[in-house]
Amino acid sequence: MAKALLTLQSVHSYYGSLHVLKGVSLHVRAGEIVALLGANGAGKTTTLKTISGLLKPRKGRVEFQGENISRLSAEAIVKKGIAHVPEGRRVFSSLTVAANLELGAFARRDYQAIKNDLQEIQERFPILRERARQLAGTLSGGEQQILAIARALMARPKLLLLDEPSMGLAPRLVKQIFAIIRRLQEAGTTILLIEQNARAALKVADRGYVMETGSISLDGSAAELMDHNEVKRAYLGKGYQEVWEE
Amino acid sequence: MTEYLLHISIISGLYIILALSLNLIIGYCGQVSLGHAAFYGLGAYTSALTAIHWQLPFVLSLPLAAVLAALFGLGLGIPTLRLKDDYLAIVTLGFGVIVDLILLNLEITGGPDGLTRIPPPSLLGLDFRSKVWYSLLVAAAVLLIVGLLYRLVHSRHGRALKAIRDHEMTARVMGINTAAYKIAIFTLAAGLAGLAGSLYAHYITFINPESFGLHTSILILTMVVLGGMGSLLGSVVGAAVLTILPEMFRRFADYQDVAYGAMLIALLIWRPQGLLGVGSISQKFSLGRGKAKKEG
Amino acid sequence: MMEGGLARRWETGAAAPLARSMLLQQILNGLTAGSVYALIALGYTMIYGILGLINFAQGELYMAGAFATVLLLSFYQVNFFVAFLFGMGVAAVLGVLLERIAFRPLRGSHPLVPLISAIGASIFLQSLALLLFGPADRSFPVQFDFAALEIAGVSISSLQVAIFAAALLLMALLMLFVKYTKFGKAIMATALDQDTARLMGINVDRMISLTFLIGSALSGAAGIMMAIYYNTTYPRMGLLPGLKAFSAAVLGGVGNIPGAIVGGLILGVAENLGAGYLSSGYKDAVAFAILIVVLLVRPKGLLGGRSH
Repeated sequence: MAKALLTLQSVHSYYGSLHVLKGVSLHVRAGEIVALLGANGAGKTTTLKTISGLLKPRKGRVEFQGENISRLSAEAIVKKGIAHVPEGRRVFSSLTVAANLELGAFARRDYQAIKNDLQEIQERFPILRERARQLAGTLSGGEQQILAIARALMARPKLLLLDEPSMGLAPRLVKQIFAIIRRLQEAGTTILLIEQNARAALKVADRGYVMETGSISLDGSAAELMDHNEVKRAYLGKGYQEVWEE
Repeated sequence: MTEYLLHISIISGLYIILALSLNLIIGYCGQVSLGHAAFYGLGAYTSALTAIHWQLPFVLSLPLAAVLAALFGLGLGIPTLRLKDDYLAIVTLGFGVIVDLILLNLEITGGPDGLTRIPPPSLLGLDFRSKVWYSLLVAAAVLLIVGLLYRLVHSRHGRALKAIRDHEMTARVMGINTAAYKIAIFTLAAGLAGLAGSLYAHYITFINPESFGLHTSILILTMVVLGGMGSLLGSVVGAAVLTILPEMFRRFADYQDVAYGAMLIALLIWRPQGLLGVGSISQKFSLGRGKAKKEG
Repeated sequence: MMEGGLARRWETGAAAPLARSMLLQQILNGLTAGSVYALIALGYTMIYGILGLINFAQGELYMAGAFATVLLLSFYQVNFFVAFLFGMGVAAVLGVLLERIAFRPLRGSHPLVPLISAIGASIFLQSLALLLFGPADRSFPVQFDFAALEIAGVSISSLQVAIFAAALLLMALLMLFVKYTKFGKAIMATALDQDTARLMGINVDRMISLTFLIGSALSGAAGIMMAIYYNTTYPRMGLLPGLKAFSAAVLGGVGNIPGAIVGGLILGVAENLGAGYLSSGYKDAVAFAILIVVLLVRPKGLLGGRSH
């Protein structure tokens, strides 16, 4: 088996005295899309924050490309090649779209390549070129999501962490976002994806993990999980059948 | 020598009252007031002016001073309910500076030269020009006030205050009228400071705006922080220490303020709960940081 | 225990002018003072924007800049501009040190804590200066020949023009920095959303230090200008301007950079108009009156500012 790009080994994370992650172990292989599912409060966002360095694990290890990154600062982890698109998009609303994109490449020094990437990203997502001089806060939800993803891509990451990219978006936009995610994988980016919309996530992912109250309760290939009753029930409660079949 | 010691004890007593009253605001309301000396000054001037111009006896001018200061506290407290920490601090500071300016500029307050020949109190036929009697007077006041505050803190109201201090939102949900309590505290604290001002005025018999400015406000704040926010005993100790020590080290007067400044910073970094601090304000002060460190 | 900062040090307009030219005079005086307030206010606003704390010691950074330049020029024959930059540099370094010592160790505490620490720092610096340099006023070691100019029947000195122009230049440089350079944008990003800024690879600690560096340099510049304008430099000189500049920052909207500029100018003019038409004794109160009114009526200030 190829050595994983990212590995978490029995990671425990806390918010102050609150024990949120209770021994999380998972791995992501290069080129994969892995979905991280689970109900609200299960610890998915905390897991991503622990990977990207916003939180430090109190126990356990986070390994990226064979290197232990558990103690590194978030800034350093970005330089290693991990980009995190946080929950709620979090674009810098009083800065322009262009400035947001440029900030995505903050950690890079190859200025000419950054310029090229900027051009390329704006070609890939023409809406960004259109709105380049607008303040990011004036963009619609869907546009902000695209901006947030594009901004993360400006770092030329090897691993992209996406936290609920479809949240609050209309179904048509959701389809768009997931099409983008698929294209990213085709272009070679590895993705770890948190999603409430489990079905959409599993349709695009290779594998998935389900989290419940701070640890992994299920894992398997996307196909396996899609069929798994536990998944459906854990997510959607009793009335899941109708919703799931949508 | 005894005269000197008595003088120190009187001044300490006054500052104890001031520190206790400021501690009410900080330790029990969780707010900072940077204009506390203004109430001190208002009390002093009120008492002095009524004694000089209306020949009001001490028994009347003292409570009048306290009441007037309390009214100002009420006036300041109400609109500032909506403000949070930093802004409240600045507004109280502004209030202090404005009062200072008014005292400096009004004719009736004597401008920068202030007022002189304030009559010492005549109570029970005793001669209060003597430091012995005055120190007893101040001591009595301090004891009364400490007693009052102690009872307050351990009463039903004290528990309500603790609830407000520790978790305001919960307190409100539980039906505690936080606004009323906060205003009451501000008013009480101002009144006590005014009372101290009156005692000061009739002791020293001359006052000018210099004693009631920003510098004094900060001195009182330092006493509260040193003694420990939220601890009554702490304020007593803090006030005593910061009155006595500077006297002991008179020779180093020039270095005093440097020491105060450095001390404030050092205290907050290494011992934010002060000497005797208890309760969640000081805990919040140190715990908060620990939390941040853990989250990295 | 002195309150020296409250001494009357303001000049009034020209003698016996027409009502209109007195108005103009006061406005021009006000713009000069206001542009200096604006520089200090920028320091407050940038620091508040990125850390959410009011740097009570901002006035002392103003004072430090003045003293550094004055002392340098007293002992060495250096070019004025070099001395000016030196003063700004000293203030800048002091600001960075201040953040390291008095604020960084206190991150994550209850908001009262850094506030009190800042007060402590302010006292410390003032008193230290008092100890080192004595309470006496120092006049500016270099004398300039500033011609008086006549504009629309009002006389202003070219010094006022110079100060105003220099202040505007610094402000323009700051705006350019913030809008067009990598680090300028990074500072804004950090002020907007610290965690997400870190996800960009931005080192938040460095951005904070940089903010203090710039904000303090601007305050230092303001101090030097005032040292020349009033020809006095003394340890407590930063107390009042610092507080007033804070009012200006609040007026414009704390955390908002153009707001600080607008607030400073408005405050300067309001103060001078107040002193000219009402009473000069209460000139210093104008700033606080404005502050209290703004905080009670529209805490966000004129240009919105940001809430922390």
